[in-house]
Amino acid sequence: MFDFCPQLERFDDFTIASSWERFISEIEAICRQWLADGPKILMQKGAESVPSFENLYMIKRELKRGKRVYSMEYHFMKSAKGKNTYWEDDTHTMQLSFGVDEFLMIAPLSASGVVLDDPESTKLLSSVAIALSNCGSNWPAFVPVHDPSRKAYIGIQNLGTVFTRRFEADRIGSQVPIRLMHLEGLHELFLSKFVLSSTDFPARVKVHFSMKLTYRTPEYDYDNETLDSEATESLVENEVVNHPKKQWDDDCPWAEWYSAEDPVKGFELTAIWGEKTFEETLEMAEVENASSFDADSWFLYPVVSQYMVDDSIGKFVGFASQLHLLVNAYESSAEAQFLEDFVADTSGQDNSKSTTTVPPPSVIDRVMKDLFKAGNSNFMESENKYSRAMRGAPADSLFGQFCLHALWFGNCNIRAIAVLWIDFVREIRWCWEESERLPRMRISSSIDLSSCLIHQKLQMLAICIERKKSLNREKSVGHKDETSNAAAANKTRKGSAGVVPKMMLLNTFQEMHAPYTQDAPLMTEDMHEERLHAAEAFGNAIGLSGQLERDILSSDMSAFKAANPDAVFEDFIRWHSPGDWVSEDNADGNSGWPPKGKLSQRMSEHGNVWRKIWNDAPPLPVSEQKSLLDPVREGEKVLHYLETLRPQQLLEQMVCTAFKSSADILNKTTYGAFKLMKTKMDQLYATMASTLKSLQGKSDISDLAGDLKRLCQVFEHIEKLLILAASIHRKLIDAPRLAQAIFADYFNYYLPKMGTTLESICYEKEFTTKQKVGMHERDAVSNLFPPPTANQSWRKVLSMGNLLNGHEPTQREIIFSVQERVSNGHYSSPTPLYADNEQIQTHRMYICGTSNDLWVALSVTSWD
Amino acid sequence: MDSSSSSLSQQPEFDYLFKLLLIGDSGVGKSSLLLRFTADSFEDLSPTIGVDFKVKMVNIGGKKLKLAIWDTAGQERFRTLTSSYYRGAQGIVMVYDVTRRETFTNLSDIWAKEIDLYSTNQDCIKMLVGNKVDKESERAVTKKEGIEFAREYGCLFLECSAKTKVNVEQCFEELVLKILDTPSLLADASSGTKKNIFKQKQPEADGAASSCC
Repeated sequence: MFDFCPQLERFDDFTIASSWERFISEIEAICRQWLADGPKILMQKGAESVPSFENLYMIKRELKRGKRVYSMEYHFMKSAKGKNTYWEDDTHTMQLSFGVDEFLMIAPLSASGVVLDDPESTKLLSSVAIALSNCGSNWPAFVPVHDPSRKAYIGIQNLGTVFTRRFEADRIGSQVPIRLMHLEGLHELFLSKFVLSSTDFPARVKVHFSMKLTYRTPEYDYDNETLDSEATESLVENEVVNHPKKQWDDDCPWAEWYSAEDPVKGFELTAIWGEKTFEETLEMAEVENASSFDADSWFLYPVVSQYMVDDSIGKFVGFASQLHLLVNAYESSAEAQFLEDFVADTSGQDNSKSTTTVPPPSVIDRVMKDLFKAGNSNFMESENKYSRAMRGAPADSLFGQFCLHALWFGNCNIRAIAVLWIDFVREIRWCWEESERLPRMRISSSIDLSSCLIHQKLQMLAICIERKKSLNREKSVGHKDETSNAAAANKTRKGSAGVVPKMMLLNTFQEMHAPYTQDAPLMTEDMHEERLHAAEAFGNAIGLSGQLERDILSSDMSAFKAANPDAVFEDFIRWHSPGDWVSEDNADGNSGWPPKGKLSQRMSEHGNVWRKIWNDAPPLPVSEQKSLLDPVREGEKVLHYLETLRPQQLLEQMVCTAFKSSADILNKTTYGAFKLMKTKMDQLYATMASTLKSLQGKSDISDLAGDLKRLCQVFEHIEKLLILAASIHRKLIDAPRLAQAIFADYFNYYLPKMGTTLESICYEKEFTTKQKVGMHERDAVSNLFPPPTANQSWRKVLSMGNLLNGHEPTQREIIFSVQERVSNGHYSSPTPLYADNEQIQTHRMYICGTSNDLWVALSVTSWD
Repeated sequence: MDSSSSSLSQQPEFDYLFKLLLIGDSGVGKSSLLLRFTADSFEDLSPTIGVDFKVKMVNIGGKKLKLAIWDTAGQERFRTLTSSYYRGAQGIVMVYDVTRRETFTNLSDIWAKEIDLYSTNQDCIKMLVGNKVDKESERAVTKKEGIEFAREYGCLFLECSAKTKVNVEQCFEELVLKILDTPSLLADASSGTKKNIFKQKQPEADGAASSCC
């Protein structure tokens, strides 16, 4: 305890010493000004918000005394604090330590910021005290003392006319006496501050106590875990060490492509024991043995990795970073006419340039094997209302997989892509020549025109390969059948797919058979455009543009004739275009034979095209008809397309597909019911759809590349958030509400980052929000603290008590205080602070520490 | 199809190209509507085989427009074939015959679903058209029912007659004006024209000569 009173007396002598006097009056002037302004006006005058505090503001002035420059800071709150809220996060250390609300801090502007010399600090504090009492303010004032690492302060507060509070804080940085590691010892320390001798401890002093314990989850040590479990099973096998390291995200959808750093480094749990009153030191020991489950409230805070807010390039590796590289490749794709040009062009550029490096052949081999290995993927296409607008290929399709592999192939430069593509097409050519089924292509009878053209072409090729295979099969088996068929009567029914219910042929009273028909010829998007082109060229001349459709109709008629040898044109119309048969039957349908009716007027007119085609169509079942689709010709056309594809066209489609597939893969992540994440994901799709839409057919690459790079930025934000969401979700799977709330907190913290430009913004604000843990969620949260293995526990010497699953707190904070009844006669002056209920807090001690670091702050109220 | 070689540096002869599509049951009069609109004539036409196609240049809302109107066959057999024509259409006209009730009910049972399934333009304008109002005596679907359906499905509605010419012009005009009012569709129609074969094409004769295959 420093001795303050004699100093005060010395001040009387200083009244003529102009330097101090001026200094005091200067402080006084500033304080008067600040007092007069009050918080509202100070905030208007430019008081700054204190970083990471919502409610706390600070205004600062510099003062000179001789050669020394001091800075005086006034910290104040926007809105008043309630009582007993010191454990809240929005509390400044000074407020917490000394139990004050607003305060004045004065310190020299030197490198260390601390008044090293003891008399000087006392003088300084005295000056402030005089100035404050002159202007009738009861702001507490603090001056730092000693070495900054000690975080030592002295302070004073004038409480009305009678009381004065004095403050003092200091720290023991090492070798904390064992006594002070335990609550009992700390309790005694507090008592010793107001009980004169330790021998006459009053038997019962009512000490108010509250405590905050902070626990930190152990580092997730996946490697160790596997080692531990397997070591117990078989000590012999040393190979265990060579096992690939188990990653936290091994079962996340992106793990097939990359492994992300776990954004959640751990959790901090804060357990708070609200105010209790103790009378005996022994009771403290009981508290120390209490379980953390007895605490009044729990708060959880995720320790989120710095990489979440670090925007510097290369810091985050994920789909977003690779997509960025792909966009770069797209930018340079217009430099050459053919993909081969990129591959050949090695001589001029030196190989060390990273933009042209191509992974070794062994890597290409591995990628090709993976792409073309048989086996179906069971990826369910997530049908999304934007997926059609994006014009990509499904993530699990051959081209989708190609794009994903390309992203991670070397550094995804244009040369590497060209090399990979050429090999890819060579492999496809091989499949075609050998009539091998294309892998990763779902066989369907239609072509999805909303996918990218390469995917459409591959769908076409897959179908052509199937048709080619069955053609070959028929050729080898079919010859004998044909001869016997030719000999058979012309009237035999051929190619029937079954009887049409309740339909009889008009002339012969036979059942009508529906024939097998040919599938409508498949067309890719460019073929449709070709037809459109042709239709336009030939104008509206009927018959020329409709050739293909006539072929289909004719094929249907032939098949119908073959299935119903005795049918007439009217029968065909009744089956094929029932609207053109005007029935004159009674309503009940089966009234007599033959059914009365006639062709519609348009069908029966002279020169009707349908009847002409009917008359020309030979009775032929589908198996004997010429195929509407020539698989060999169409297949060759597809390969020609793939082999002569322009680099820019390839890259355009790759960009679309890669964005879509990456998003689809990320979208498969389970992150519980985090609504914010879901909304963001939907927004990503919408943004992608609108950006990628302009990619089709627009030639100005540089314009687009800018948009695409911004899209990568958006993608990165969402990818990071999604990984975070997945991590939080799986760690707090049993406390979904809590997980959601924690994610929402971080999301809101992160939100301002999004929607910014390419420039990364510096993120100074730290994420500090804690979430209150509900009673029913405590079990789930305590599971974050697995009991330490035998291996881990012997490393530590436990010394603080209040263990949580065997973990001791990383920090313990305690507030002791005693209150004394104010006897009426003695304290007549109204004291503005701490005097409600006629009680006044006389001693307050804040202790913060671990087993080898102790910081103690004491405030003592006394009357002079 | 690269016809750029034949394209001379000539001003485009239109501001926008719109692709419109006519759908609906067989025999409701889609082709007749189209014939009335493009050639202002009416005759009993053979049923459409698969798809048919007509082009008309119009001036609507102060813009020169080229309308490419695809007329599809209503027969079920052609449905897989016609489905690919929904792609990129800015306007879809659903036609029914006011004298045949099933052609009206099939719109919601079949055709509206086809649109959802195959249309690639989210904002594409849909129009409901009841044809053959000249046969007022045989009417089986009331105007009110038509309005109800249009409201429910969010589309334009008009009753017309290809035979008597009533409301045919208005029907296409209304549809086109609505498309002109929809920015996202316009973006398609103009940016698309850059690579669209229509824009690169020269007047008829030239185009026919240069067309390949």
